[in-house]
Amino acid sequence: MIISSSKPFEEILENLDDPGKIFVLGCGVCATKLHVGGEPEVEAMCRKLRNAGKEVIGGGVAKAACSIKSKESLLENDPAIEKADTIIVMSCGSGLSVVSSLVDVPMHPATNTDSLGGYSEGHVRKDLCAMCGSCIADFFGGVCPTARCPKGLMNGPCGGAMEGKCEVDPDRDCAWELIYLRLKEIGRLDLLEKIFEPKEYDG
Amino acid sequence: MSLKTNVTYYPSMPSAFKEKLLSDEFVITSEISPPKGVDVSSAFEEAGLVRDYVDAFNVTDNQRAVMRMSPLAMGHLLKGQGLDVVMQFTCRDRNRLALQSDLLGAYAMGMENVCIMSGDYPTKGDNPGAKPVYDLDSVQLLGAMNRLEEGYDIAGNPLESAPSFTKGAVCNTEPGKPLQLMKLEKKARMGIDFFQTQAVYDIGLFETFMDSISHVEVPVLAGLIPLKSAHMARFMNEKIPGIHVGDELIARMESSTDPAEEGLLICAEQIRELKKVCRGIHLMPIGHYRHITALFEMAGLYEKN
Repeated sequence: MIISSSKPFEEILENLDDPGKIFVLGCGVCATKLHVGGEPEVEAMCRKLRNAGKEVIGGGVAKAACSIKSKESLLENDPAIEKADTIIVMSCGSGLSVVSSLVDVPMHPATNTDSLGGYSEGHVRKDLCAMCGSCIADFFGGVCPTARCPKGLMNGPCGGAMEGKCEVDPDRDCAWELIYLRLKEIGRLDLLEKIFEPKEYDG
Repeated sequence: MSLKTNVTYYPSMPSAFKEKLLSDEFVITSEISPPKGVDVSSAFEEAGLVRDYVDAFNVTDNQRAVMRMSPLAMGHLLKGQGLDVVMQFTCRDRNRLALQSDLLGAYAMGMENVCIMSGDYPTKGDNPGAKPVYDLDSVQLLGAMNRLEEGYDIAGNPLESAPSFTKGAVCNTEPGKPLQLMKLEKKARMGIDFFQTQAVYDIGLFETFMDSISHVEVPVLAGLIPLKSAHMARFMNEKIPGIHVGDELIARMESSTDPAEEGLLICAEQIRELKKVCRGIHLMPIGHYRHITALFEMAGLYEKN
């Protein structure tokens, strides 16, 4: 799941000097699950924009903003889009990119796309995968250091962790502590000995 | 003050620092911070105060992610003053192209002693919005240095001429931490010449640590930061990973009428103990340079010939 968070409303307004007719488009997948671009959030956004004196001609939620088949299918779902001068997109950056390739009006994001993560056991889980294109997460008990260590250290922790917490964010567990615990659980502490070569970025 | 530089490029000669590491004499390095600006006179002055005691000056690389003059430039200028230098080199700010080219440059300017570290994260410093690089980690960077020494860059392209480094790395000294030990062993497996540790205050614990790494057989320089106050001790306990100042030392600092002097005395006692335990010390005076000569004398360390 793509982890997104809502932009401050003031920042969205700053980009709407002379927007004309606004349509607000949410996304039915990740943004809905995370409550940043589902139906309630789209409705709330329409209301706030109207309260701020903007002309909102409609709102809707695409089934999956990143996977809209064609302009026709987008319009079939939300015909009001055709009359819009500006679209506010409440999806991840991929969703916004796909929508902007289909419709010829300016659009603005209402969310920031933070990371590839998940939602499990009632918790949002950020930074689970860095999408590096050469997965070796199995060597780390499924806890990818490229994604989960801010320094992306593949050969062990830095000296900055305190009491098992990350140097960068003390609220976050040191990725290497998690790797150690997972490898211990699955009886593969031997993997800690392996020296990993630098990642290649040309693939 | 003369800025005349005297570049030495003697590929066949090991550095004086490396020779000292290989000898059985006690090694002393001391940290010098490049200026936040272009005037290096304070750094020269600090180095000048203790130059007769110190084997090599360890030049920091934007330490704590605070932007300063580059250690490559500062090291080169210190070399020009006739001082031996260990250049600190972090993985934070450069990708593999820049790391390798700076290492070649450092060697060509006579700085063959390099101490590798990951580097504090940019958000800890004074340019918090900087892009963190960490293209290589410290183990991989040591591997890249080995490749350069073999006459190839990290991608396998041949070099026209090859460097030969004295390679160091850093470590914490808490015994019984399996991940820290694993990382230390990986660095040692890359064939390094010395370890430089986080500041040590508990010599007993440090001895236990030294026993736990006796299989590694890499010379260890124990980090030392003279205490200035009980407050400083508590602050480091709370904020600096890998540092633990015991209650007994804090009590000594608290009951002293001259805490700065007491801190130096404690440090001198520690140096005397450490002489029996490891190959040398790495002193981090943190604005305390004027008192370091006295410290060395209290610790029974004498001027070099």
